[in-house]
Amino acid sequence: MSAGSPEAGVIHDIGYRHYRGVRLGRWPIVRALFVDSLRGAFGLGRSAKSKIAPLVLLALMTIPALVAGIVVNVSGGTEPPFPLATYPSFVYPLLILYVGGQAPAGVSRDLRFRVTTLYFSRPLGRTDYVAAKLAALTTAVALVMLIPLVVLTGGLLLSDVPAGDVLIGGAQSLLAIALLAPMLAGIALAIASVTPRRGLGVAAVVAVLIIGWAVQGAVQGIVASQGREDLAWWSQLISPGTIVDGLIARLFDLEPASGTQPTGAAVILWGVAVAVVIAGAIGALTLRYRRVSVT
Amino acid sequence: MSVITIDRVSRWYGNVVAVNDVTMQIGPGITGLLGPNGAGKSTLISMMAGFLPPSSGTVTIDGQATWRNESIYSRIGLVPEREGMYEVVTGWELVLANARLHKLPNPERAARHAIETVDMGQAQDRGIATYSKGMKQRIKVATALVHDPAVLLLDEPFNGMDPRQRLHLMDLLHRMSEGGRSVLFSSHILEEVEQLAATIQVMVAGRHAASGNFREIRRLMTNKPHQYTIRSSDDRRLASALVSDVSTSSVQLRSGSNGAGGQGESSLHVEAVDVARFVRVLPWMAQQTGVRLLEVSPTDESLESVFSYLVNRS
Amino acid sequence: MNPTVMRLTSRTLLGHRRFWLLLGLSTVLLVLAVVVRLVTGTDDDLAWAIVSGFGVGTLVPMIALLAGTGSIGPEIDDGAIVYLLSKPISRYTIVASKLFVAVVSALVLGVVPVVIAAVLLAENVFTVAVPLAVAATAAVLAYCALFLMLSIITRNAVVLGLLYAVVWETTVANLIPGAQALSVRQWSLALAEWLLGTADAARLRVDAAVGAPAGLICLIALFAGSTVYAGVRLRSIRLVAAE
Repeated sequence: MSAGSPEAGVIHDIGYRHYRGVRLGRWPIVRALFVDSLRGAFGLGRSAKSKIAPLVLLALMTIPALVAGIVVNVSGGTEPPFPLATYPSFVYPLLILYVGGQAPAGVSRDLRFRVTTLYFSRPLGRTDYVAAKLAALTTAVALVMLIPLVVLTGGLLLSDVPAGDVLIGGAQSLLAIALLAPMLAGIALAIASVTPRRGLGVAAVVAVLIIGWAVQGAVQGIVASQGREDLAWWSQLISPGTIVDGLIARLFDLEPASGTQPTGAAVILWGVAVAVVIAGAIGALTLRYRRVSVT
Repeated sequence: MSVITIDRVSRWYGNVVAVNDVTMQIGPGITGLLGPNGAGKSTLISMMAGFLPPSSGTVTIDGQATWRNESIYSRIGLVPEREGMYEVVTGWELVLANARLHKLPNPERAARHAIETVDMGQAQDRGIATYSKGMKQRIKVATALVHDPAVLLLDEPFNGMDPRQRLHLMDLLHRMSEGGRSVLFSSHILEEVEQLAATIQVMVAGRHAASGNFREIRRLMTNKPHQYTIRSSDDRRLASALVSDVSTSSVQLRSGSNGAGGQGESSLHVEAVDVARFVRVLPWMAQQTGVRLLEVSPTDESLESVFSYLVNRS
Repeated sequence: MNPTVMRLTSRTLLGHRRFWLLLGLSTVLLVLAVVVRLVTGTDDDLAWAIVSGFGVGTLVPMIALLAGTGSIGPEIDDGAIVYLLSKPISRYTIVASKLFVAVVSALVLGVVPVVIAAVLLAENVFTVAVPLAVAATAAVLAYCALFLMLSIITRNAVVLGLLYAVVWETTVANLIPGAQALSVRQWSLALAEWLLGTADAARLRVDAAVGAPAGLICLIALFAGSTVYAGVRLRSIRLVAAE
């Protein structure tokens, strides 16, 4: 105000500093998105209310494992109450609720408030976004299955059950988790990414997975009631949980939670089914995010 | 002719007081509800529209309470701030549905008239999802006008509108008020209110800071002493010259942190009552006394500071 | 009831994504019924197992959940409900109109497939289909009213409804006998059992946890209680734009 003619326009330097340092590239962004989405899947970094559902479901899944561990210790049994690798099938409805609640939470708001526009204006490709979200939810679902199994394994190791058996069972269940987690996460994200409405997304994911689970149970029952128990295992192909259940049971010769083991070379189909579901989900998500507009 | 009466109304959420003991009357003509963001304007409008009970006090329209009283809505037209609408229907369908919900004798005619009033005839058959922000705003206004209400409440109607749409809506509100309707709109932009409202109600931090004729309040606001910070080569000599002039009401010498020696650190703080004279006189005095002016800057003149002035003097 | 409210509600409820999901779910039962019919032919036992277990037990609650919450939840979420509420219309009328739309949608997309599946699969069509249709209808009425009321009182109605339908009805009520008495499914099954008569009920191994009068009273109480309470809560719903 003290200098210059009054007509001349001038932009005053009020001390904003421009950033001239190194900018992080694509991978740190993907990693940050992964970490943030993974934390979000347990309600961390979100409101107190959104922490309730993941923690309650995790507790509901862990309590039976804890009880089973205690029971074996008290009764002094020398065998696990059930093959450890079938534990995910045992808590499958709860897993559905978990993944159904968290998949839309991860993607629906980005669509609804067009946050994707901001993401895609950075050196972050659409496939990177899909990869980060999918990896985060897969890790979250795997953790949710892993925690009860660690509790159960720990309980059994303290008991009279031979430690070798327990550890083999634990290793088998790791494979079950590694197969089931990407399937559930992939299906859930593929469905959730269709709608920007979270409520509808939750309902859609849970409805599709629960209906698949219920239809599998019904078909298995029907085939068995027709006296063809030898064929009932074909129904396992209907629901992701039972695909993994049957496959693991066959690979390690265990008693599956659903029906009987698939016999003969048919088990190859089970492996193919796992691959098809995961690949299909990735494909659907990639196509979906290629079409998300950035305006 | 309808009158909204707000009588000793407070509204709090837990420990947060959103509206603090407000009493006002809103009558025919355009009233502007002015205040910075978070002043409680939306809370007040929600209470007028019957979507929130006052924690204490009463909100009535022509003597009838607005909370839990659906019959009041035949007198109120409400333009909400939120964008949410039935996006799957067309503009025409939404306005017609609103006319039917009011159980008007001839809903088609009322809807057509409302859409003409907001000049949306061209786009009435397009889905609302395809509308621009300004078009959505106009359709919202049409749904509020369709039953020809005596009271029109608009929550931040100019938000996100471009200047042309703004002028159009201002013109529309003028026409609405001419028929004796009570039109109330909220805004945090002084110029909007200045152009439109004869009467204003000023809210600051939940309190009713000022009310009445716009020009009168504007004058009160300009009577507020203007404050300047001045740095010069010799503050003490300049101060003695300034205090002798009628344009200033107070001159304060603020020394720097390291006391007498630090001339460059100190400054003058001047309150000017006659701004026009002050800015003319200041350079002349500097020249006369041989003092070099290093810096002359007015202190913050934002709307918030004007509001806080109004609050502090009331 | 108000026809305009009903029209707006059906437009949002059957907005295309939700509609395709609902239609997809009901198609599952029909496909299952057609396949089983082609493979095994008609059989009362099997018909009951599929249609009661999967149809009335799983599908109908899901459809009713989507219809009940979808008839008002999205509007409260995005604020569009204000266009209905700022009208000189009783809030009870709004609830009744929305409930009507939800119930009709759930009847068409949930109960009709149940009846078709029962007709396709049963040997004694009348004996099996009528009790199932009545049970499914009763369940739809109770569920829709419950889930609509939940959508008014909480934003998390879908999650709560799913917890109830999946965890309570399917899991807890199967494991803990006492919990069965507090289950819409058991109440509606009680009606079906009564309609079947003792002989047929025994033949089809239908054994509800409560008697028919108790079931009927519970269903009516839930339906009426939820509807009235939904109206009460909608009368004092608070809408403020976030400042």
